[in-house]
Amino acid sequence: MSSSDRTQTIEDGKEEAIFRSATMSLVQLYLPTEISRELIYDIGKLNLVQFRDLNSKVSDFQRAFVNELRKLDNVERQFIFFKEELDKKSISLSKYPYESELSQVAPQSDIDELVDNGQILEDRVTELVDSLFSLYSKKKDLKQNFLTTQSVDEFFKLNTGNLPIEVAETADHNTSFITGTISRDKVQVLQQILWRVLRGNLYYYTEEFTEPIYDPKLEDNICESLDCDLYDVDTTAVGRATQLAHVSSNLDDLSTVLEQSELALNSELIAISKDLSKWWEIIAREKALYKTMNRCDYDGSRKTLIAEGWIPTDEIETLDATIKAGSQNLPTIVNILETTKTPPTFHRNNKFTAAFQNICDAYGVASYREVNPGLPTIITFPFMFAIMFGDLGHGIILSLAASTLVFNEKKIGAMKRDEIFDMAFSGRYILLFMGLFSIYTGFLYNDLFSKSMTLFKSGWVWPEDFEIGDTLKASASGIYPIGLDPAWHGTENALLFTNSYKMKLSILMGYIHMSYSYVFSLVNYIHFNSMIDVVGNFIPGLLFMQGIFGYLSLCIVYKWSVDWFAIEQQPPGLLNTLISMFLSPGTVAEPLYAGQSTVQVFLLLLALICVPWLLLVKPLYFKRKFDQEAKYHALQDEEVSTGDVGEHSEETADHGDDDDDEEAHEFGDIMIHQVIHTIEFCLNCVSHTASYLRLWALSLAHAQLSTVLWTMTIGNAFGATGVSGVIMTVLLFGMWFILTVVILVIMEGTSAMLHSLRLHWVESMSKFFVGGGHPYEPFGFVGLLDEYI
Amino acid sequence: MSGYTVLVVFILVAAICSIFWVTAPKQDRTVWRSSVILGISMMFLMWAFTYLSQLHPLVVPIRSDLRPEK
Repeated sequence: MSSSDRTQTIEDGKEEAIFRSATMSLVQLYLPTEISRELIYDIGKLNLVQFRDLNSKVSDFQRAFVNELRKLDNVERQFIFFKEELDKKSISLSKYPYESELSQVAPQSDIDELVDNGQILEDRVTELVDSLFSLYSKKKDLKQNFLTTQSVDEFFKLNTGNLPIEVAETADHNTSFITGTISRDKVQVLQQILWRVLRGNLYYYTEEFTEPIYDPKLEDNICESLDCDLYDVDTTAVGRATQLAHVSSNLDDLSTVLEQSELALNSELIAISKDLSKWWEIIAREKALYKTMNRCDYDGSRKTLIAEGWIPTDEIETLDATIKAGSQNLPTIVNILETTKTPPTFHRNNKFTAAFQNICDAYGVASYREVNPGLPTIITFPFMFAIMFGDLGHGIILSLAASTLVFNEKKIGAMKRDEIFDMAFSGRYILLFMGLFSIYTGFLYNDLFSKSMTLFKSGWVWPEDFEIGDTLKASASGIYPIGLDPAWHGTENALLFTNSYKMKLSILMGYIHMSYSYVFSLVNYIHFNSMIDVVGNFIPGLLFMQGIFGYLSLCIVYKWSVDWFAIEQQPPGLLNTLISMFLSPGTVAEPLYAGQSTVQVFLLLLALICVPWLLLVKPLYFKRKFDQEAKYHALQDEEVSTGDVGEHSEETADHGDDDDDEEAHEFGDIMIHQVIHTIEFCLNCVSHTASYLRLWALSLAHAQLSTVLWTMTIGNAFGATGVSGVIMTVLLFGMWFILTVVILVIMEGTSAMLHSLRLHWVESMSKFFVGGGHPYEPFGFVGLLDEYI
Repeated sequence: MSGYTVLVVFILVAAICSIFWVTAPKQDRTVWRSSVILGISMMFLMWAFTYLSQLHPLVVPIRSDLRPEK
């Protein structure tokens, strides 16, 4: 371990594993088949080992525990069905703490019982649900029949005299009547179709049922094609009366039966809801167990299970102890394998760092043991945000909202959250830091909801004697110690000053952010012992970047530090200085300091040398190395061919491995890669520096927007007096506050956050981040049911 | 108050950072060190640039909407 690694170790001897991912080891476990299930369950409880798939060439159907898994899948399907039924009745699952009951692997007999039980319960619930369905259909039918008969009866009672033809009572052979029920939105259609088909020879009458009818399934002739139900209604009044009586008694009977079946289903489901989450957990764990065991190998006699997996090196002892404790005196072996395979990347995160880590992991998982960009992101991400979002008031609102989430995190964590809220909740520490830094930057910008504060003595004095309407110039009397002088607030040329200040600020912050990130690439090269990258990549890149943009940054600070009025010189424009440094080297129109042209020519030459240096040194080094290796191999081959039949070192065929990463290194590849890298690096130096100007643009836009909002809403209320003044102030304050939260904090905040995200992913991480790792996903039982329950 | 204020504050900040490097909590030491030192440094930089930009201003505030005090 190098010294920097040693500082990472914490008291209990485990790596902190946040600056770099944890050191991993590949362990091989020999477990007796009789107790392998129990042992793997114990390992799963540790949540430490990522099992390698030793059978990746075997299809899923040919693995050892296909039948078991199929059975468990079926049980899980049944559980999902129960859950759906429970949701329909809105019965919630009881989740009493069953963790202690699961400390041991469930015996096989329990699993079998659960499987049988699941089948029985499914049959019973399905039967009940089906019978309920048919009962409801019958009930609907009867009820419609009842209501139809009733309305026909009413109709004839009221209209006997008015009908053009006495349809029903005369029972004329040429006319007849049809009655039925139809859903209301189809009435119009039915009427039109009937009218056309019967060419107007129709008397049509509808009546709306007042009672809603429960249809369990929202599913002759024209009437039937429109999904309406037809009923024979007796033509005589007496017949209708008996029909009504008959139907209504049927309906009563049916309702009783229906009630009872409903009750039976409910009690069945409530019984299921008591234990379902426990059963489900057991089944889910069992499934995870078999899936893991499917990844393992067996020796020839099938007496021993062979498993391989990645584990943090400092946890091997824990694993060892667990296996020893569960082995019941049967022989087990834990081997640590030497391997060339790339281990997974594992950063030990806590609830605070996890959100920041996610920001970086969303871009790419860090390569094994490279510098973790998630660590500096904790500060730089919210700070870059705050430079764009700087306003004391908005920062306070954001911090208050975030601290509500942070202080109630236990309560909110147990709640069910929708997607948007969950995003805000999981990023609560990011939001908190964004708010806190915004308070700081807002304080420096001297912006409190677009107003300024005079906390210290202003550095500008306004003249005493003047007439109203005179154009006044302030005179300097000192320097405002912290932040922007409030005297600038509301002046005619305030923008002129803040523009120049914020532009230079964003260039400087951007340059420092990029340089800071770039140094991480040096840390990586040194850690991986790659001197050629230091010489061929880091140093020329550093000189190129510092020679141009470091120089520009230095010029900015130097120009600030010179009192141009005192030395009576014209301050040079830095933009022109930089442009003429390239276009007309050697001539300086407006000097910034003595000897400027020499320095600039030197820097320009340095940058020009750096380009071929960056382009050629690394590929040429590898070409030399490959040539030497080739010569060495040629010599060896000669020896082999002269010494009769040499032992051919056969390449050990890797059987069924899932993660081989042997790259073919050839000169051509390296050359092309380096050309791309050189072009990219040099262009990116320019474009990335320019990209940081978004800090300037967004912070100006934010400040202007909040000024506009103030003057257009609450600003209008000041000055009005009397009752109307009170009402106006209250209303306009409400409007101002709501718009401040919605537009300035939420919308502008989101936009600034996305810009900050981009600055990290592109401008910062491209300077050092390789991101070729694969995440560490240990086998465990955490959150198996999150997507279901 | 002059440009040297920035240097004095820089020395102060550097001192605070070095003290924190040594006294950082044992638990999650790297996170504490990185975050606190980086945070303080960025806050210092931001302040320093704001201060420096007002050290020798090239433009003066101008306004014509003031009313004389009676």
